[in-house]
Amino acid sequence: MNDNSNNHKSVLKVRDLYKRFNDNVAVDRVSFNINEGDFVALLGPNGAGKTTTIKMLTGLIKSMSGDIHYYGESFFDNMKKSKSVIGVVPQQSNLDRDLTAYENLMMHAILHGMPKSSRKEKIDAALEFAGILEQKNNEVRTFSGGMQRRLVIVRALLHEPKILFLDEPTVGLDPRIRHELWKLIIKINQLKKTSILMTTHYIEEADKLCDRVLIINSARIVAEDSPETLKNELGRYVLETFNEESIDKLFFATREEAVKSMKDSECACKIREVSLDDVFLDLTGRSIDA
Amino acid sequence: MLNGFKGVLYRELSLYKRKARKQILAASISPLLFLIAFGWSFGEEMSVGGLPYITFLIPGLITMSSLNQSYGISQELNISRFYFHVFDEYLIAPISPLEIVFGEALYGMFKGLLSTGLILIYSQLFSVKLTFSPIFFVAITLHTFIFSSLGIAMAMLIKEHRSQATLTTFVITPMIFLCGTFFPVERLPAVFNTAVHALPLTYSTKVIRASLTGGAYVPLHMMLLAGYAVMFFGLALYAVRRVEA
Ligand SMILES: Nc1ncnc2c1ncn2[C@@H]1O[C@H](COP(=O)(O)OP(=O)(O)OP(=O)(O)O)[C@@H](O)[C@H]1O
Ligand SMILES: [Mg+2]
Repeated sequence: MNDNSNNHKSVLKVRDLYKRFNDNVAVDRVSFNINEGDFVALLGPNGAGKTTTIKMLTGLIKSMSGDIHYYGESFFDNMKKSKSVIGVVPQQSNLDRDLTAYENLMMHAILHGMPKSSRKEKIDAALEFAGILEQKNNEVRTFSGGMQRRLVIVRALLHEPKILFLDEPTVGLDPRIRHELWKLIIKINQLKKTSILMTTHYIEEADKLCDRVLIINSARIVAEDSPETLKNELGRYVLETFNEESIDKLFFATREEAVKSMKDSECACKIREVSLDDVFLDLTGRSIDA
Repeated sequence: MLNGFKGVLYRELSLYKRKARKQILAASISPLLFLIAFGWSFGEEMSVGGLPYITFLIPGLITMSSLNQSYGISQELNISRFYFHVFDEYLIAPISPLEIVFGEALYGMFKGLLSTGLILIYSQLFSVKLTFSPIFFVAITLHTFIFSSLGIAMAMLIKEHRSQATLTTFVITPMIFLCGTFFPVERLPAVFNTAVHALPLTYSTKVIRASLTGGAYVPLHMMLLAGYAVMFFGLALYAVRRVEA
């Protein structure tokens, strides 16, 4: 589906990933590929299975069936090797609150076998970027939510992973920090060809940043394509009609068609360009009704 | 190769550095109270198996106190697992469960040996004569390893934090009191006597007491300890392997 798929090295291949919690199917036969340098968003409503998917891909929980391959090698047979190319920003902070910022990063550096000679330098650079160099010897429990989030993010990047999993990375960050963060992520994506799989509920972030979007609803992938293609498929223009209880949406390929349709109707209405939000609501709303 | 091992130890020791003073102080109180209450008060008139009671008691306090410290990492692991999700960092890192278990076990042994040192200092204060032989060092190493491993296993196997306290009340505490720490197990009613012989603490206390008080230890007991060490280490490894975030 992705135009790039043939030119680039496969980093991650997921086939029929499946996970059930008691009777609740959290991830249902999910398959997708991520190639070198891909920037992919995994979008879906609360409880759709995004975090569960990421946890299975990073070894935090075990899948019940399905295959995961990193660089063509089975994840389950090459855990150590596979994990060395992974970086993770979990949805829920897992910093050690009783350790300092520096100690948290040092532990990560040691666990990932970073060479002693460059460890300290890289940690200081990371702390600097996160804007917490001055507080590096303070215990994490004294940090604000945003500071902790920044620390988690620079920690995930510390060992220079080849693929980065970001589970709602920008939640709780102020707009300036969020902007800085995206600048960094784009930089490592472009310069180092680091592949990225992120989840976010800020759909405009995905629209702007990602070359591909996976939409997951009720444990299943319901769409996969570039934001442009998804929007085109739905129709570039929306005619919104405002009723007492609801807003009706009609989609059109061109503005002219939308305008023509508006002339026919007499209610309060508005024409605007379609957004990825519309695609998301269309795809995830539809199957909830069904 | 040993990144996991080093990382785990780095974490535990960084934390320990900060709480060392409090921890050591806390670990030194209860053995001292036991010494005063039991050893000193009726130390003079009582003797057990030909030993003055306080001399009998010191090895028991060593196994009790080091067990508490080594097994005690269970609680710490629990909190970091359930409340701080720190275990996720281990699970995501390119390290093997074996390294995690070894790292945590070594930390538990470190704590257990520290409290052993404390009691040896007390024994000097109370002028209790002890003899030191390699047997003692082998036995205390096995003893702290066994209970650190058990602590790791329990922290990973239980489903929620609260079960930890239940386990301590119903298993660990009775074991500490009944396995020959304060009185010879031979004085227990037959049923209990048989039961405590299924527990490693009975053997480590016997071997450690024999070695410290100049008696002869039973080689079979040492072999049993080695067996328990392998078994509990295996259990810990199994538990860490199946743990999920
Ligand atoms: N540890 C667990 N035990 C039982 N059920 C779970 C567990 N973790 C997740 N689930 C269930 O699996 C489903 C998927 O959850 P998941 O956390 O993957 O959703 P999500 O897409 O990340 O949602 P959100 O946008 O809210 O983060 C939900 O129905 C959830 O209740
Ligand atoms: Mg989630």
